[in-house]
Amino acid sequence: MASDAKPRKANAGKATAPEGTEVAAEASRPFGRLAAAAAPYLYVTPMVLLVGVFLLFPAADTIWLSLTKWNGIYPPTFIGFDNYLNLRTDPAFITACLNTVYWIAGLMLLQVALGLALAVLLNTSPLAELYKRILYLPAAISGAAIGVIWYAIFNNQLGILNAALRFVGLGDLAQAWLTTPPLNTFSMIVAAVWQGLGPTIILFLVGLQTIPRDPIEAAQTDGANAWQVFRYVTLPLLRPITVVVVGINLINSFKVFDIIWTMTQGGPYRSSETLAVTMYRESFVSFQFGYGASVAMVLTVVAFAVAVFYIRAMFQRLEVQ
Amino acid sequence: MTVLVGILAVAWLLPLWLVVVTAMKSTPEYFHDASQWSLPEDPLQLFANVRDAWFTSGMGAGFMASLLYGVVAGGLAILFASLGAYSITRLRIRWPFFWFVLVFSGTIFPFQMYLIPLFKLYQDTGLYDTQLGMILFYTAIALPFCLFVMRGYFATIPRELQEAARIDGCSDFGIFWRIILPLSWSPIAVLFLFQFTWIWNDLLFGLVLSTSDGVRPITPSLAGLQGQFAHSGPPLVLAAALLATLPTIMLFLLLGRYMMRGLTLTAAGRAGSE
Repeated sequence: MASDAKPRKANAGKATAPEGTEVAAEASRPFGRLAAAAAPYLYVTPMVLLVGVFLLFPAADTIWLSLTKWNGIYPPTFIGFDNYLNLRTDPAFITACLNTVYWIAGLMLLQVALGLALAVLLNTSPLAELYKRILYLPAAISGAAIGVIWYAIFNNQLGILNAALRFVGLGDLAQAWLTTPPLNTFSMIVAAVWQGLGPTIILFLVGLQTIPRDPIEAAQTDGANAWQVFRYVTLPLLRPITVVVVGINLINSFKVFDIIWTMTQGGPYRSSETLAVTMYRESFVSFQFGYGASVAMVLTVVAFAVAVFYIRAMFQRLEVQ
Repeated sequence: MTVLVGILAVAWLLPLWLVVVTAMKSTPEYFHDASQWSLPEDPLQLFANVRDAWFTSGMGAGFMASLLYGVVAGGLAILFASLGAYSITRLRIRWPFFWFVLVFSGTIFPFQMYLIPLFKLYQDTGLYDTQLGMILFYTAIALPFCLFVMRGYFATIPRELQEAARIDGCSDFGIFWRIILPLSWSPIAVLFLFQFTWIWNDLLFGLVLSTSDGVRPITPSLAGLQGQFAHSGPPLVLAAALLATLPTIMLFLLLGRYMMRGLTLTAAGRAGSE
């Protein structure tokens, strides 16, 4: 390849000789030279402007607004760290933190663990393609529509689930699924898993397909049972994709908004809010924009901290191995 | 074990089945039914319900608006990201990696970091509650991931093609437009599918940046209709949910393979950013 490139370059030099004089002529005019040097920057201008104005500037501005009191009408006034100090004693904020923890635990258990188990089962199933499609189908539905669908299932009076329980004679099990905390958070986690399980399975399946057959067969010949093969061969080899899936689910737990907003709006009495919902309610329902910005900051800092902590732990384990 | 997976698959389809059955009933029928599980008297009622939903709570206008945002903003994001990726990988630009990281850093913040200043900016500039404002924002939010994918893909296109074209007298832009872009059809298709679906499904920014029918996307309209669940009747609300789901489900059934591939791309993108 390298030996091939040289004569080609020489050729290119010859072929562009007339062009070269043109460049020289252009260079004598300062404007032409400037235009030629500036051209590559014109290509990046639209994307840099859009991302700068609509994403990066707002992100930086949130830091400043979190130090202010602002109701959206009068200009923001600087109040230092008062918003953050007030958060510590705000019961709604504490509930939101607790619910965010429930969401993380729920998605880890129901989405990641169950997703991994199902991916292992599907990996050898002859009907894998069909099952994959069925389990992935809800992922094509928006969070808002998922919320509407599961509200129809879970709500107290008109809900399909309670009606079904009464129909089969289990009326005693009928619950106020969406109005009893913390049951309402668990009900919404079920709805979220219905949406998110398929993608998780697909990612694990991609990982499983990259695992070589040899170590698994070797372990089987040595008399390892199915669980041992999974625990001591498959799981360690699957680590790179597991790191990604756990990371995505961690981040997603902090971001849940659509499903909660359409199922309970964080209620009743703010009992099912997560940090993302609290941030929205404080800002765009109560018009306490400075306070809302401080919730956004806490959410971001905690999410970053968790991500960094998690990635470092994973790297250390990889190094030990 | 296989039986368990089979049961799970059936359980997974049950909510969709209930949605479709309910959306096929008239409201009086739904309330007088012995059970929500009974079959509809007249399945064609579905079309009447969807038509009613179209004219309720701005659902129809939201449908058209979301279609516009998904197509235009998705397309613009891919175009601008491709231009940028071309300059970064192929032209004489200083600090190419800096430009990449600058734009890609738009993916690392939780969305909550953008909301309040965007709302403020949109109020101050008159972009609030306009179609232009929505298109600009959706283009910006889709850009970083498109840049990540296009930059990775352009790096795999042999440089010899570009040099040959230059010898033939092709300009920088000509090389981009006539050689590099046509070769990148497959990542562009996956990206478009992915970004269209994302924009169509967005609720948060639609709620914050728009309010009137014709500007507001379909998901906030659906969330608004949801607020009157008992009042409008479950059949109408679920018909509206079906309407809001139709384009993305159709895309999935037609192009599901690409969607799943897009998913692995996203995972790669996240892995790259973390």
